Amino acid sequence: MDTGPSDKDLQILRARDFWGAVVLMALSVFFLWRTMDIPLWGGNRAGVSTADWYNSAAIVPLGIFTGLFVLSTILLIISIRAGGARHAMTAAGIAWNGDEALRFSTIGVILFFYIAGLVPRVDFVLCSGLLITALTFGYHGGHRDRMVLSAAALAIPGAYALIRHLPQSRWGAHDDDWVTLAVWIALTVYVLAKAKGDRVLKAVPIIALVAPVILVCAMAFGFRQNVPNRGGLLFKQIEYHYYVTIRPLWRD
Amino acid sequence: MEFVLSQLAGFGGAFVALVADPLTYAYLIVSVFLGITFGALPGLTATLAVTILTGFFGNKIPLDYSLIALLGAYVGAIYGGSYPSILLNIPGTAASAATAMDGHPLAKAGRGGEALGLTTTASFIGTLIGTIALLVFVWLLLLLSQNIASPEKALLALFGILLSGTLMSEDLVIKGWIAGLIGLAMAMVGLDPLLSEPRYTFGWSYMLSGFQVVPVLMGAFAVPQIIEGMRHMEMGKLVQLKGRILPNLKSVRRYLPTITRSGVIGTGVGALPGVGEDVAGWVSYGVGKTVSKEGDKFGKGSLEGLLSSETANNACIGGALIPLLVLGIPGSPPAAALMGAFKINNIIPGPTIDPEIILRVVAIMVLASFTMFIMGLFTARIFIKILKLPQVVFLPIVMVLTTIGSFSVGGGINDLYLMLGVGFAAYFLNMLKFPIAPLVIGVILGGLFDETFRRSLLISGGDLTTFASRPVAAVLLALNLALIMSQIPAIKRAFGRLRRKVI
Repeated sequence: MDTGPSDKDLQILRARDFWGAVVLMALSVFFLWRTMDIPLWGGNRAGVSTADWYNSAAIVPLGIFTGLFVLSTILLIISIRAGGARHAMTAAGIAWNGDEALRFSTIGVILFFYIAGLVPRVDFVLCSGLLITALTFGYHGGHRDRMVLSAAALAIPGAYALIRHLPQSRWGAHDDDWVTLAVWIALTVYVLAKAKGDRVLKAVPIIALVAPVILVCAMAFGFRQNVPNRGGLLFKQIEYHYYVTIRPLWRD
Repeated sequence: MEFVLSQLAGFGGAFVALVADPLTYAYLIVSVFLGITFGALPGLTATLAVTILTGFFGNKIPLDYSLIALLGAYVGAIYGGSYPSILLNIPGTAASAATAMDGHPLAKAGRGGEALGLTTTASFIGTLIGTIALLVFVWLLLLLSQNIASPEKALLALFGILLSGTLMSEDLVIKGWIAGLIGLAMAMVGLDPLLSEPRYTFGWSYMLSGFQVVPVLMGAFAVPQIIEGMRHMEMGKLVQLKGRILPNLKSVRRYLPTITRSGVIGTGVGALPGVGEDVAGWVSYGVGKTVSKEGDKFGKGSLEGLLSSETANNACIGGALIPLLVLGIPGSPPAAALMGAFKINNIIPGPTIDPEIILRVVAIMVLASFTMFIMGLFTARIFIKILKLPQVVFLPIVMVLTTIGSFSVGGGINDLYLMLGVGFAAYFLNMLKFPIAPLVIGVILGGLFDETFRRSLLISGGDLTTFASRPVAAVLLALNLALIMSQIPAIKRAFGRLRRKVI
């Protein structure tokens, strides 16, 4: 059975709890302030008088954020009593770990540029293929330089797409698709060059191509659902040939 | 007697309809296989299996089939967790953590085939026990729940969040409650249910409809799992499987009282709002160790220990569906994902649910457990091969699955931003040992709590005693207060002193 955390782990946890409680208190105060915008004591909206306090839309949020403030204050007190405040400013206290910080930040960069930059603007097969290649290569084996390279591989096309085509009206452009494709090919070549004898790395290009193609086709043609960026470089071709070349085979 | 017969007749009708439909088998085989695969891969959980399939099947096929897919994956995933527990000593899902205690020593002693055979049988029987309990109790509770009005619903929702926070916390109970409150707070975003007053929308029209359940589920359960799992890990040594995987009827007969007891415990724990299969497995294991004559052998390769946890975690599934179907309160984290599937199909589980759906759920559970049993016996070698896949290979694919699943549910790109935001927040909360299940349950029950709490006040003209004046409400209020007070240190100490005096 779980024997629970050791004294050192508990010390680290309480130091982190100190910061967690401070953030939660700040958030609850901010949202309590925002709750004041909602009429509580019978406001007047568009000439219609809102009802009494007990029917106000603010009553439940007020209770929730007050509760959150009280509980986070209790957590802060528990943390301070257990020495959390003393250790809160020390690297040892919060268990700062350079390797872990690098791992988390590179994954954060990869996921941010994938979701915010590439998925809305770039062909789904291309950006997902790049994501699979970058994540598998970057974190298989735990090499720091590969993590940074993988993050850069997503950040470059992601930032390009974000900067060049920020508003939704420009998401249809294809130059960012080509940039993504070029980075994906370059990364794949590099992965294969480093793959000597590594079965996982050798399989990456196949997985990175096959998995997104199957998923996007299943979603678009099997479930007939919307998929991101239907006008993307590859998907546009797949969709055209599905409806014009393949589908008539059984429709006729 | 008449009640039992009518129940059986209703179940029989639903079962025959299901068996006669060839599409049932297609969905069932695929979903149970996917479920076992998710369970068998350390790093993927049963909740994740049901969540991802909700994104895929939730509203894209008729509800009847999406229920087959989701329940099949749920049953399969809870069972699948036993493979790495036994062969790698790494629980595939939290629900199978107790299974590793005896399963791995058995495998090391060359009895891996026997252990897997027994696990398969125990999971099958456990699922059936939970399903029978679901068939019987759901109707009794549905009859009772007809008398439940707004005050009771509000207090029940609060009880579900508090209880989940209390039992799912690894560290301080207060962290579970905070997680529940964060979930409730997230549910407040958008137009309020009674006056359509916009709350915390910050002028963004997407926020007017509030946070959608599926992206929140994906963010809360999938993204932290992906971030946590993307690291280099040496694969544990896979124990060579010896012996054939067959149900050992002699052992099953011998340990029938243990199996029955564990099934009942699992169902009971599952029926508690928000408490999942992992708690069921450990509680049953703990009880087994205390009451068994072989208690001292637990943890050293005891068949009874193995059966205690494996029967309970699968029985928990049926139990978890009872509060979901009767009250609209999920009994476990995967049941919360199922609730998401109901919601996106515009079905509101609770006293007003269509009885046909309940009968169909029971019939699906029975068929899913049969499918799991057969797959467990005949295709186990495939799942053992899957165990060798490193996390860095399958987690990126899960990220792509999560993205496309979340996108296609309806909200488009904005849902993806929401998923990522919730995912990063959930990762940090996980790091600080805040449980995520109460947060998700808070998001799901937040709307119900808000609406019923304010409706109660509206009907009573702002009289707070409405929450204590009705008998069921008074009991629920007392339970809520008792739960909160039981965690106050001064009261805990007073009870401790009292207990010592009595002893």
